[in-house]
Amino acid sequence: MVDPIVLLGGAAVSAVIGFGWLALAMDTHWEQVHGETSPSPAAVRALRVAGALALAVSLVFCLGADHPSMAALVWLMLLAGSATAIAATLSWQPRWLRLLWLRRGGDGR
Amino acid sequence: MFQNFRLSMAWLHTWFGLVLGFVLMVVFFYGSLSVFDREIDRWAIPSSRFAPQPMPSFDTILAPAFQKMQPAKEAVALLEGRVNGPLPERFEVVNSWGAYTTHRDPVVSVFAGFKVPNAKDPDETVFAVHALDPRSGAVLPQGQLRIGSEFFYPLHYSLHLTWKDLGYWIVGFSALMMLAALVSGVVMHRKIFREFFTFRRHKTVQRGALDLHNLTGVVALPFHFFFAFTGLVIFAGIYFPVAHTQLHDLHELHERVEARETGLPHERAGVAAPMASVDKMVAQAQRRWEAKGMAGDVGFVNVTHVGDANAYVSVYRAGTDRVALTGEGIHFKATTGELLRKDPPRTAVDSVNEFLTGLHLQHFRHWMLRWLYVLGGLLGCVCIATGFLFFVEKRKQQHAKAGGQGARIVDALAVTTVTGMLIATMAMLVANRLLPESLADKGEWERTVFWSAWGVAMVHAFVRGGAVARAGMNPAWREQCWLVAAGAMTAVVSNALTTGDHLARTISTGYWPVAGVDLSLLATAVVSVLVARKLARRAEQSTASATSTPLPKGGALGASMKNAEASHG
Amino acid sequence: MTDTATTAPPVSAGAAGAGRRSARGLPWALLSRIGAAVLGGYAFCWGFIALAHSGLYALGMPFHDGEHLSAILGVLLYLVVFLWTFAARRTGVTWAVLLAGGGVMTGAAALIQRALLG
Repeated sequence: MVDPIVLLGGAAVSAVIGFGWLALAMDTHWEQVHGETSPSPAAVRALRVAGALALAVSLVFCLGADHPSMAALVWLMLLAGSATAIAATLSWQPRWLRLLWLRRGGDGR
Repeated sequence: MFQNFRLSMAWLHTWFGLVLGFVLMVVFFYGSLSVFDREIDRWAIPSSRFAPQPMPSFDTILAPAFQKMQPAKEAVALLEGRVNGPLPERFEVVNSWGAYTTHRDPVVSVFAGFKVPNAKDPDETVFAVHALDPRSGAVLPQGQLRIGSEFFYPLHYSLHLTWKDLGYWIVGFSALMMLAALVSGVVMHRKIFREFFTFRRHKTVQRGALDLHNLTGVVALPFHFFFAFTGLVIFAGIYFPVAHTQLHDLHELHERVEARETGLPHERAGVAAPMASVDKMVAQAQRRWEAKGMAGDVGFVNVTHVGDANAYVSVYRAGTDRVALTGEGIHFKATTGELLRKDPPRTAVDSVNEFLTGLHLQHFRHWMLRWLYVLGGLLGCVCIATGFLFFVEKRKQQHAKAGGQGARIVDALAVTTVTGMLIATMAMLVANRLLPESLADKGEWERTVFWSAWGVAMVHAFVRGGAVARAGMNPAWREQCWLVAAGAMTAVVSNALTTGDHLARTISTGYWPVAGVDLSLLATAVVSVLVARKLARRAEQSTASATSTPLPKGGALGASMKNAEASHG
Repeated sequence: MTDTATTAPPVSAGAAGAGRRSARGLPWALLSRIGAAVLGGYAFCWGFIALAHSGLYALGMPFHDGEHLSAILGVLLYLVVFLWTFAARRTGVTWAVLLAGGGVMTGAAALIQRALLG
C-alpha cells in the first residue's frame, strides 16, 4: 500500500494543478500569465476538462489515504488551500503558472 | 422596505455582518488556535511537556486519585441558592467518575460528579475536574492555566461570559448570522465563478479588500458554513432546551424506558458495594473491539453510581481514525465485571449527528487536516477583517465630508478586533513565560494581562484614529503590527530562556507541540513585520502627495492630492 | 456585489425606508423586522423542534435521535426563516406567520407529549 503521506501529497499537488488549469481557462488570468493574448476555444475546453479531472484525481488520492468520512473533509479543505495558492500566485507571480499550459504560437490573435 | 431580494440580502449582510463580525472575528481566531489547544497547553505548562500516554491503569493510578477528589471551592460556591439547607464540608455520594485521554494530550483529564444533598433539583451534580500525570497519578497544579484548552478554547465558544450563559447566546447568534452572511453574500456576489481567483492588489484598497473578502469567503465556503452550522448543532441543547423544559416529562419517560431496555440502572440501589478490577474490564473491551476488526485505544472510561451495588463501568474507544466521536461503548457491572451491554451499531441519524459534531470537535488523528482547519479558520478571519476594511473604505470619504465619526469608530473597532486581539494573545503568552511558575493564581494574572492588553490596544486604536475622520488611514494598524511582531518574538525568546526548549532542541528531538507553537509565533512575527512595512510605505506615498499635511521631504503636490484621496489615507 | 456609488443602506424611495426615522426618532419599521426575524424566528423554530422531536419519538424514532434530527433541521430552519423575514414584503405578515406557526406547533407538541404519557 502506498504511504498515506505520499497519497495526500499527491492530492495536494493535483488540486493545485487542477485549479491552475481552471484559472488559465479564464481570459483575465490567461492574460496575466501569458501576456496580451486569449486562449483559443479549444484550449479553454481542454483546460476546463483537465482541471476538473485533476480535482477528481485529488479526491481519489484522498480516498486512498483515509476513511471516506475523513477523506471528504481533507479534499474540501485541500480545495480551499489550493484555490488560495493559485489566487495568490496569480496576484504576486503570475509568470510562475506559465509552465502549467504552454502557449502555442499564434493562439487567439 | 427593500426594493428587491438582492437589496434586502445586501442590507442584512452589511449591517449584521458588521455588528456580529466583531464577535465572529474572536470566534474564528480562537477557534483556529483551539485546533492546537493542547499543544499550546504544553507550551504554557512546561512541566507537562512529555509525550502523550495511553489511558493509564484505573486500579493503580486513577482510582486512588479519584478517591481524593472533592469539588473546587468555586464550583461549590455556585450552588448557593440551589439547596435547601447547608452545603456539606465533604461530598460523599459520587454520581460518576470519568477519565478521558486523547492522542494529543500527555495528561489524562479526570472528573468526578458529586450528588448535592438537599438540592432543589434532584439531579443536581457538582463536579471536580483535574489533570493527572498518567505516569504517576499525580495531580497537576491547579493554579497553572492551560492557556489553550482552558482559555482560548472556551473563549471561542462562550467569550468567557458565563453569567446566564450570555456568552454562549452571543456566540450562537453570531454563528446564525455567519450562516445568513454566507447565503446573503452568495446572493450579492454576481461574479462568483468569474472572480473565483481574483485578487487585484494593485487597485484601490477598497477594490483589493472586496476582492480578498470575496475570495476568502468563497474558496472556503463549505468550511465556513459547516463550522458555523455544526457549532450551533453542538450547543442546540442550550439554544433550544426543549427536552429539558417543555418535553421534560417525555425525557424522563424515555430514561426509564431506556434503563429497562439497556439494563443500565438509572438509580442507585442504596447499598454500598466495592468495585471489581476495572483494568480487567477495560482489557476485555479492547479484546472485543479487536474481535470485530476495530482494534483501538481507550478514549474514555466512566463509572456511574460509584460505590453502589448498581454501579456500572462504561468503556469507550478513542475515535482517532475517523471523524465521528468516541463510540463502541461497552458496559460492565462494576461489582463483578460481568458484561451488561454492548452499544448497538449507530442508527443513521446518530451517525449523521456524530459526524457533524466530530467534524467540529476534531478528536481525530490527522495532522494535515488539522493544519488545513487552521488555514480555513484564518481565511475566515481574513474574510471578516477585509469586510471591515471594505466597509470603512467605502464610507470614509463621505463621512469625512459630512463630519461624521462612523467610519472612524468602525475602523478603531476593527483595529481592536484584529491587531488588538493579536496583541492580547502575545501579551498573555509572554506573561506566561515571565511570571514565576510557583506564583499562586498564575492563571488569574495571565488572564488579567490578556484583557488589560486588549483594553490598552483599544484605547490606542481610538486615540490614533483621527486620520480616519479625515478620510486617511489609522496609523494604529501599523503601530499595532509592530507590537504584535515584538510580542511574538519576545514569547519565543522567553520560552527558550525560561525552559531551555529552544527551536533547535525541540525540532531535533521532534517535540512538535512546542516547536509548532514557536514556529507559528515566528511566522506571525514575519507576516506582521511585512504588513507593517507595507503600511508604512503606503503612508509615506500618500503624505508625499497630499498638500494638507507637512512634508517630511519634498514631494509632488497639487495634482496628486486627488490621487491620494481616491486611493487611501 | 458591485461597489457602486451607493454608500448608504439601500432603501426604497417611498415612505418608511429601512433607516428612515419616524417622528419619535426610532426606525420602528426596521426594529420590527429585526424583532420578527430574531424573536419570531426563534418562536417558530422552538415550535418546530418541539413538534418534530415529540412527533418522531411518537413514531418510534429513538429519543436522542429525534432530539438530534430536530435540532439539525431546526437550526437550518432558523436560517431560512431569518432570511425570509428580511426578504418578505410586509413585516406584519412575517410576525403573524412566525408567531402563529410557532404557537400551533408548540401546542401540537404538548398534545403529543400528553398522549404519550397518559
